[in-house]
Amino acid sequence: MSRQLDNDNPTIFAPTASATSKRVQQGKASLWASEALSDDEYDYDSASGSGEDREDIDSEEVYDLLRSITDPEHPVSLEALRVVNPDDIHVAGNRVLVYLTPTIPHCSMSTLIGLSLRVRLLRALPPRYRVDIRIKSGTHQSEHAVNKQLNDKERVQAALENKHLLSVVEGCLSTADKRGRT
Amino acid sequence: MDVPRMVRTQISTSELNPPQDLVQGVNNGSVGLLEIVKALGEYLTSTEDEVRLNGLTFLSNTLKTVNSTKINRQATQTLTNFYLSKLDDFDSLPPALGGLTVLSKLATFDDDAAVEVYKGVVENVNMKAYVQATRHLVYVLFDSLLATHRNALKSMGSSFVNSYTKMVDGEKDPRNLMLLFSIDRVILLEFEVKDHIEDFFDITFCYFPITFRPPPNDPYGITADDLKLALRKCMASSPYFARMAIPLFLEKFATLTGPSMKDLQLSIAACLPVYGADAVRERGAELWEGIKTEILYSSDTSIEAAALSALESLIRTLYPTSTDAPSGLAQDIIKECLEILNEPDKTQAVAATKILAAIFRASPSAGKFALSQALPQLFRQFNSPSVPSHRSPILSTISSLLVAVQSVYTSPTSQRKQAEEKALDPYHGGILDVLREGLRTEGLKSPAIKGCTACVQIPGFWEREDVENVVRGLDDVLVNDEDPEIRPEVIESLTTISTHHPTTIESLTLPLLFHNLPDSAPSASDHIAREKYRSILSSLRELCVAPALFQTLVIRITTKLDLLSSSTPQSNGGDEEMGEFDTRECNIAYSWDLLNTLQNVVDKKIKEKHNDLIRYFDQIVPRLFTLVVSASTTKLGDASPLFRDRRLVGIIAKLVESLVWELNVEKQSAWFSAIYQAFEKGDWTGVVHDKSVVLSGSPLRTGASSAEQDLIALYAGTVQGLKGDATLPFGSSAEFLSSKIHWTINVARDGWQVKWILELICAFVNKRENVLKDSLETILESIWSVEIQDTSKDLDNRRRGLSVYLYIIKALSLLRSPLAYSALERVIDILSLSNLDPEFVRFAASGFGILSQGKGNGHLTAKLLFAQKLWNFVLPKLIEGDKEATGTGRLVYLVAFASLLPLVPASLCLADLNTILPLILRSLSLPDPHQRVNAITTLTSILETASDSREVDKAIHAHAEVMVDSLLKSAVRSEGVASSGKVRSIALSCLSLFPDVIRFENLHKHKSIVIRELGKTLDDPLRNVRKEAVECRAKWYRYGNAT
Repeated sequence: MSRQLDNDNPTIFAPTASATSKRVQQGKASLWASEALSDDEYDYDSASGSGEDREDIDSEEVYDLLRSITDPEHPVSLEALRVVNPDDIHVAGNRVLVYLTPTIPHCSMSTLIGLSLRVRLLRALPPRYRVDIRIKSGTHQSEHAVNKQLNDKERVQAALENKHLLSVVEGCLSTADKRGRT
Repeated sequence: MDVPRMVRTQISTSELNPPQDLVQGVNNGSVGLLEIVKALGEYLTSTEDEVRLNGLTFLSNTLKTVNSTKINRQATQTLTNFYLSKLDDFDSLPPALGGLTVLSKLATFDDDAAVEVYKGVVENVNMKAYVQATRHLVYVLFDSLLATHRNALKSMGSSFVNSYTKMVDGEKDPRNLMLLFSIDRVILLEFEVKDHIEDFFDITFCYFPITFRPPPNDPYGITADDLKLALRKCMASSPYFARMAIPLFLEKFATLTGPSMKDLQLSIAACLPVYGADAVRERGAELWEGIKTEILYSSDTSIEAAALSALESLIRTLYPTSTDAPSGLAQDIIKECLEILNEPDKTQAVAATKILAAIFRASPSAGKFALSQALPQLFRQFNSPSVPSHRSPILSTISSLLVAVQSVYTSPTSQRKQAEEKALDPYHGGILDVLREGLRTEGLKSPAIKGCTACVQIPGFWEREDVENVVRGLDDVLVNDEDPEIRPEVIESLTTISTHHPTTIESLTLPLLFHNLPDSAPSASDHIAREKYRSILSSLRELCVAPALFQTLVIRITTKLDLLSSSTPQSNGGDEEMGEFDTRECNIAYSWDLLNTLQNVVDKKIKEKHNDLIRYFDQIVPRLFTLVVSASTTKLGDASPLFRDRRLVGIIAKLVESLVWELNVEKQSAWFSAIYQAFEKGDWTGVVHDKSVVLSGSPLRTGASSAEQDLIALYAGTVQGLKGDATLPFGSSAEFLSSKIHWTINVARDGWQVKWILELICAFVNKRENVLKDSLETILESIWSVEIQDTSKDLDNRRRGLSVYLYIIKALSLLRSPLAYSALERVIDILSLSNLDPEFVRFAASGFGILSQGKGNGHLTAKLLFAQKLWNFVLPKLIEGDKEATGTGRLVYLVAFASLLPLVPASLCLADLNTILPLILRSLSLPDPHQRVNAITTLTSILETASDSREVDKAIHAHAEVMVDSLLKSAVRSEGVASSGKVRSIALSCLSLFPDVIRFENLHKHKSIVIRELGKTLDDPLRNVRKEAVECRAKWYRYGNAT
């Protein structure tokens, strides 16, 4: 690589948020083991599909969408670099707020990472959500500039029309479907 | 027999294989071989190359086919000499070689002849001039000579070896090389090769390393690995190679990479023991350098493993016995490793650990020395680490060494025993201390558990109290640690311990676990308590499979269930917060979990063929019966007893089925007789544990309460577990069957009861087809005419009639009984009546789903290929019906088709794809989500295997657009269309296959539509569906992007 890396030796953390969910099951599933419920489904004359409990999108699900995106500088996931953390994602109603934590305060990749997150959520969340992506306060030199850039619709749109930039983003997203699995 | 004429005809028609008559003639002695030679005379000496070749080939082919005892000594000699004279004839060489090979295998072929033939070949054949096939024949002849006359060739001395190496020099074809390598190995091992070792070195090591890559679709199927293995065996055949081979290896270290490097390391591993300690010692340090690089720095784990085996081989060669002083190279290596381990958090430390473990495995003396150097240093580092985070890798290193020790001492092939070597004894205390410390400390548990497991398995290393000590530590982790990653490791460890020290687990772990199981279920909102008991149950599920521990599980679980059933249901009108569910529901779920645990353990024991299960039948089944039966009778005012719940009755019935199946025939007969008494006569004493439980009569009588009727599930469970040869307590099976059919159609209260009685009928017919044979036709006939055809009857009763009918057909079709097909024809016929009797016909069409269940998980008997036979019978009829029908009448055929789909694997559909694919595509728009799931499942497997055949590929490309449209309709929820989470998620996962399977130009127009439609699925209420949607959409975004 010709360009000097911003952070050529980032700390890589072992995954702490395990692949299994800590989410508390709702409704019937809270009481019954999954096998018991799957038996139910083949019940002789039950019309399945009628009474589906709605499972709302929560911060864990959003984190799951983001955790395995690859860092633009290193072949490591954003989860391993702690750029996104489960606690820094907030979901309320139709709004999603994601704080990202750059590995170093002068990281020029922050906007690119932010853009990747935005594209991922644009593709993976229902259109009714409004997504805000911000730098976690106090972790970057030019926090405000980056925030402004990330949440300006037109600038995001313009960025995505840049073929080269888009292909870099696609590269970062190519691992996103792993969702914490390795 | 006119031999000359026969021969003439054969030759002139160029049919060079001897006719059957001729071969027989020779074999029975009526035709002499010489006669044939005579008849061939003019051809064999012809001056025309082609004629001569034909003559010779015919002769050789005859020799190959006739009985070899018919070739006498004289004939052998004459023929040998004749063939020898042909060796210098360029065109005649291949048949001559073939003939000689046949002759060389004969008993009449002597040592002198062998030498003569060998010399003849060597002197007359110029290998370079011939093609691969001819060279191959030469090698085959050599191989045959070596196999039968090895000593004669040996006595030729150096003239043989010299000429052999010249003959085979320069061979390049892999097919020939495979043969040559095996010949080389024989010569190297058996002949005096010391003086010619350089020649042999040239003809073997020149091929190293092999970089051969087989051409695509290679018909000979020789892989690079075959060649590598054959050559490696050659290289490791003679200790004399050492002088030249080791420098060659050292030289190759610098240049080879990837698979060749792996080959090099494995070759070193194979060769060093043969080359011997003296030769290896000279260059030992240099070899270590080369091996080390690959262990410490290689990123390819397979090369690392190869290098470790090379290291083991090196150490084993240098220090083979326990009395060798571990000085020199081993000392240096160990020192190097310990230096690396001073920084245990570096990745190299892991490699150093592996090196130490390899040394231990390789040599008793060097291994013991390695432990004596490493362990004290590691203990010191662990107890006073320079950085706290170092403790975890240090403990990992210790555990890895313990695992290495354990693998050596418990391996059945190894001669080394803990009792003799006592390599670990001096560190007994130290090991125990660090492991116990590890079990107590966050972050160190995983390596500590690994170490404990290893130590427990080393025979005679730990005393009973040491084991108890460690088990206590493990129990503590099991009960108190909430980390989901650690728990399975503890369980695995405890399970291993339980095979060595069952009593320790029984007296320490099990009481603790059962103590932590509550007596009644935690309330609905108490998720933590529920998670806790689930985690304990899942631990028990693993642990109690062991015969020694199963008894405890049975006793404790049945006691808990007794307690739960007798606990009086609390009044629900309380002011307490109940959450979503009341206490009863919580208790039911808890009981279900307990029963499910028992069921899982029983299943596992059946799978592992434990024979102690039968003993527990009387402890489990009558107790469970007592619970259910007493619950069905008691009249407790408003509150309904726990074990009346159908989910519990259902799981108990399943458990009964598994356990009954395990009984032997006599016990089965006795049990079924008792059951029969209970259900038909109302005498329950034989089946319940608590004799005070009495039912007022047979649950099958008219007027029985719904709860009593639910007991039918237990009846069904018993019959399903019954084997075909168990004696029945009644005279007429047909009568029994008819009474059950009557009950199904006219008495059973609802679908749940019908489901169980149908299972009973199906199992009974399936197992008793031989007894029922004659009456079955009449029974089916009467069901059809009385219950099904009569349209004046209640629709529900007719449906039940048809279900019974189909279940009997299913039972018979599993046996491929002809009756199944003739009976089924009627069902197919009524599909055409959808205008007259729409509702019933629709039910009949989806009833084909009953047939598609196949054998299921139960104990039904199924003959081979029953599914294919049924499929091939039904499918053409459905297709035909579909063609003849018009309008909505076609729909029912489609429904029947889609319902039947799960019966057969997709590969069967592939064979006839052009007929089936259109049907599948139409099925995608059926209204019932179940049938769409079937269609999509089949479509998915078709797409997954599509690339294998050009025809399939063409078909799916032609239909790709239609498929995408239909799948999208199933994936998106829309108002008024029946849907299920299953159909949506399976449609999405099928859609996500398209970008991989279908070429972009076929679907490029659809990309934007699909992405837009998939946007809607992102808002699906079910999380699993959303997950599939996200993945699918991401794939479609990438579809067609240049990569």
